[in-house]
Amino acid sequence: MQSLLHLNAQQVRQGIKNGYFSAQEYISQILERIQKVDDKINAFITVDNDGALRQASLIDKKVRSGEKIGTLAGVAVSIKDNICTQGLKTTCASKLLKEYVPPYDATVVNRLKNSDAIIVGKANLDEFAMGSTTEFSRYGPTCNPWNINYVVGGSSGGSAASVAALECTVSLGSDTGGSIRCPASFCSVVGFKPTYGLISRFGLISYANSLEQIGPIGKTVLDVRMVMDAIAGIDENDPTTIATAISYAEEEEQGEEQHLQNNDKNKKNIRVGLIKELVEGSEPVISKCIYSAMDIFTKSGCKCEEISIRSVDYALASYYTIAMAEASSNLARFDNIRYGFDFDPDGYEWNTYFAKVRSNFGDEVKRRIIIGSYVLSSGYYGKYYLKAQKVRAMLKHELKSLFKKYDILIAPTMPVLPFTCGEKIEDPLKVYLIDIDTVIANLTGIPAISIPAGFSNGLPMGLQIMADELQEQTLFNTALLFEKIANIKTEYPELC
Amino acid sequence: MVFAKDDIKHLGWLSRIELTDKELEKFTSQIEEIIGYMNKLDTIPLFEIDEGQIGLQKKFSELRRDFANPFNCDTLNSSNNRKKEGFVKGPRMV
Amino acid sequence: MLAITAIKIGLEIHCQLTHLQSKLFCPCYSDYRGKTANTNVCPICYGLPGTLPLLNQRAIESAGMISLALGCQIPQNLVFYRKNYFYPDLPKNFQLTQYNAYGITSIGVNGKLYYYGDDVDGGTGKVRSKSARIRRVQIEEDPGRLVYENGNMDTSFYTLIDYNRAGICLVEIVTEPDFTDPKDVRIFLNKITSIIEHLEVCNTNLEGAVRCDVNVSIDSGKRVEIKNIGSFKEVEKAITYEIARQKTMSLHNIEVKSETRHWDDARKVTKQPRTKEEEQDYRYFPEPDIPTVILGNEFVSLIKTKIPELPDARKTRFITYYNLSEHVSQVLIDNKDLADLFESAVKIYSHSPKEIANWIVTDLVGSINDANAKRKHELNEGSGNKVGGGQEEKEEAGRSGSLLSELKIGSKHIAELAKLVDQNIINRSTAKSILSRIVNTGEMPSQVIEKTDTTKINDKKVISEAVESIFNSEKSAVKDAKQNPNAANFLLGKVMQLTKGRADPGITLNLIKAKLDIK
Repeated sequence: MQSLLHLNAQQVRQGIKNGYFSAQEYISQILERIQKVDDKINAFITVDNDGALRQASLIDKKVRSGEKIGTLAGVAVSIKDNICTQGLKTTCASKLLKEYVPPYDATVVNRLKNSDAIIVGKANLDEFAMGSTTEFSRYGPTCNPWNINYVVGGSSGGSAASVAALECTVSLGSDTGGSIRCPASFCSVVGFKPTYGLISRFGLISYANSLEQIGPIGKTVLDVRMVMDAIAGIDENDPTTIATAISYAEEEEQGEEQHLQNNDKNKKNIRVGLIKELVEGSEPVISKCIYSAMDIFTKSGCKCEEISIRSVDYALASYYTIAMAEASSNLARFDNIRYGFDFDPDGYEWNTYFAKVRSNFGDEVKRRIIIGSYVLSSGYYGKYYLKAQKVRAMLKHELKSLFKKYDILIAPTMPVLPFTCGEKIEDPLKVYLIDIDTVIANLTGIPAISIPAGFSNGLPMGLQIMADELQEQTLFNTALLFEKIANIKTEYPELC
Repeated sequence: MVFAKDDIKHLGWLSRIELTDKELEKFTSQIEEIIGYMNKLDTIPLFEIDEGQIGLQKKFSELRRDFANPFNCDTLNSSNNRKKEGFVKGPRMV
Repeated sequence: MLAITAIKIGLEIHCQLTHLQSKLFCPCYSDYRGKTANTNVCPICYGLPGTLPLLNQRAIESAGMISLALGCQIPQNLVFYRKNYFYPDLPKNFQLTQYNAYGITSIGVNGKLYYYGDDVDGGTGKVRSKSARIRRVQIEEDPGRLVYENGNMDTSFYTLIDYNRAGICLVEIVTEPDFTDPKDVRIFLNKITSIIEHLEVCNTNLEGAVRCDVNVSIDSGKRVEIKNIGSFKEVEKAITYEIARQKTMSLHNIEVKSETRHWDDARKVTKQPRTKEEEQDYRYFPEPDIPTVILGNEFVSLIKTKIPELPDARKTRFITYYNLSEHVSQVLIDNKDLADLFESAVKIYSHSPKEIANWIVTDLVGSINDANAKRKHELNEGSGNKVGGGQEEKEEAGRSGSLLSELKIGSKHIAELAKLVDQNIINRSTAKSILSRIVNTGEMPSQVIEKTDTTKINDKKVISEAVESIFNSEKSAVKDAKQNPNAANFLLGKVMQLTKGRADPGITLNLIKAKLDIK
């Protein structure tokens, strides 16, 4: 049987539905691929062979009996290991949750299962999603499939790598300050962060609750949109979810051609703003790539202009203040009393026990918790946290006026190319600075997507497209347009 | 903003994280640098922001109704094998 | 030289909203008492990672009612804050609560509650009206419960934790330090309890449903906080002790330190807690997972329609409509169960509300106290010196309200009893004995009368026969009576005994006196 690994999600579902191949056949290839290559890249913390094959056979049964199959039937999904999966170990890449098996599924996992998707395993990440290179995982770093000496990005490094390495069809990651888009850019795949509140966070182990969202990663924009449709929507278990899912069902039935025709109709109206500060702050090869992207938009009839966002300078300071403050509180519950890892409290006084348990956090997590406690401490609340929230409001205000004049904003996803492993690990602030392009979307809650924009010496670059709150439709249309025209042909790395 | 090792040690205690001397040595300068960066926030010319614009809002009528819906605690309890007659065993208080 | 001590007392009252179906942030049962450890929990209140708080609408409503009843203002928006600290009974190692330092966002502020003090104004002769300001009312969650294997924190090698109570809704009421007398505090707490009962948001008889911490300072000295006071009854004792302690220290020129002390119920003293409580930095910030709740103006109007009649209004109504005395009305409203009993009895027999009220306030309360004392004795809690004085007994009755259910009678029994007395079918002493019987048997008074034939005897002929019989058997007493008219009462007593209390005392005495004259 020929290799099915290059199929995108749409093709997998169609193939299974029309009987070209069975779910079991597809999943077996996937699991075999994981076996073959994951030693090299370490994208997975846990692989669920039995569960995946079991699910696959159930789907095949449905197909045989003519039952209706879900929108993601047979699609192989890796789930970032900070999203709870019932009965399947969820570690957040930390020692503190080494043996934690959640008794419930995250809402997104539930909805994936209801769509007949197949969960193949849990993807590696920076510990508790704190990092931009996945080097802070306590289960070993994930390497970039394009060149294993280079970082894969983070914190959803395992998610992006598993897609790029053809170990799964799509993946779910989480994005607090760029954690989906950064590895997507470094791995030349599509990564999407939705409008805040569009996808339920119930079951996402919190790092910074007012900033983070779960989002899909895939090889194509359509794949990403397909997954989003299956998991988005209001959830009674998450009081911060706001809108109902945006559906493109009718368009899917019409097929891709019709859809792009619709696009043609709309594209002449797309007004594009290029964020000057972010392009200028990037490595030259990246700036060049983004200007070429702007040319593509202009040539296809869009109106493009360079724009300026004054508050960009403060965005990063604001982001880290809020993120670390929330993190210091969100991670307080990890005291190993109710769940965690094997460490008997017998003989210990409680303060000592807690402090010893929590000394098992990695360096980066420790730093962020300490700084978070500091900025919230007595007397500093107004100076840091409150001010950071005000910057947020200011940024939001500025973007609102920009979105009156422009439909989408573009910028690089990352200001740098992937760098070598270990290069920046001793200097935390240096790593924080590479988040400059992505934090804006988290601070303001607007949707943002990273799509492949080219390579430089074999290292991937990503274009970031942002739209106003709840304007996912515009965002996806634009992304599809660019994807088709730019046509970044991708031969995914062999790895073995 | 200058941090001493003792400041970091105190913050560690506040967060219930035991830090080794080596860590205190390493972290002190790193944290000082990061907080120095955050002090950028002091330089922003802020215009008046209505506190109400910060954060999400929800109407009273949209809140959860007061109905009980118990959870099957067996699944919870099985994930922790450190129990005694149903109680969770924790460290001593003194 | 006698110096007058300036005393300042402030209260922090915690009240569980026991009438809610579910907890404050999750749909677990709010009724956790008596359940096996850790069987009334869910991922949310257990603190599992990935869970989010689901705010209970009715909790806001009930807390709003308490706020209004205490005269507070309710803000337009409500915000919940995280109070960050570590403790084994705190599943998330932060408590979700409310906080006003960055803006008024708790359920109530700036209220005032009036109450009558114990002391009488020398000039007017009237009971002094006092008030205490309510600084704020806030909503927060209860933590879990720590238990020690051998019952002793000091000798246990480990701690046992039960999270059944974690996440239960609490309303905290904080007063300004307006109290100067522990007796006033007791009266105030009774009033708060009565209000909470009338609002039907909390069953204050449940163990631990209402708790109170106090702050005490004397002569503008440092403030001492006293925690761990087991029940409202202990509060007055704790304050009295602490004032004495601080006065003693001041007399010896020892500075009173600002600290937290625990009330030791067994030894009746305040002491330093076993575990050193450190200066806490709670690092408050708004909970990002709970959106700001927009109450709007309709909220207050909604609450106003839901508030039932409050104790003060009910008391006024008892006085003006039923013509009850101020004292009797106060006893009734001090415990909602008694007031409810009164009103339902009056519905059945409406001709003499005063009669019904008196039966409840004197004899029934006495029976309840007896049952309470018996119960306490059986539970080996010691007999408890019942300090004389009406107030304490009324309190006793108040707090024992739930024991109305232990007594087997209800409104129809009381109504019938009052009716029988009112219609002169039985006399008062007969009624008293019927009451003490039926509280244990549950019989209707009419049934008892039928069985024991206790109707009043007004028939002169029948009474004469009884008098004749006594005169024959008490010859020496008769002799005494002829000399000493007061001894006639002895003979009256004997006739009453003989007729099992049924003879009309007035008629009987007249017949005796007449017979004495004859002889």
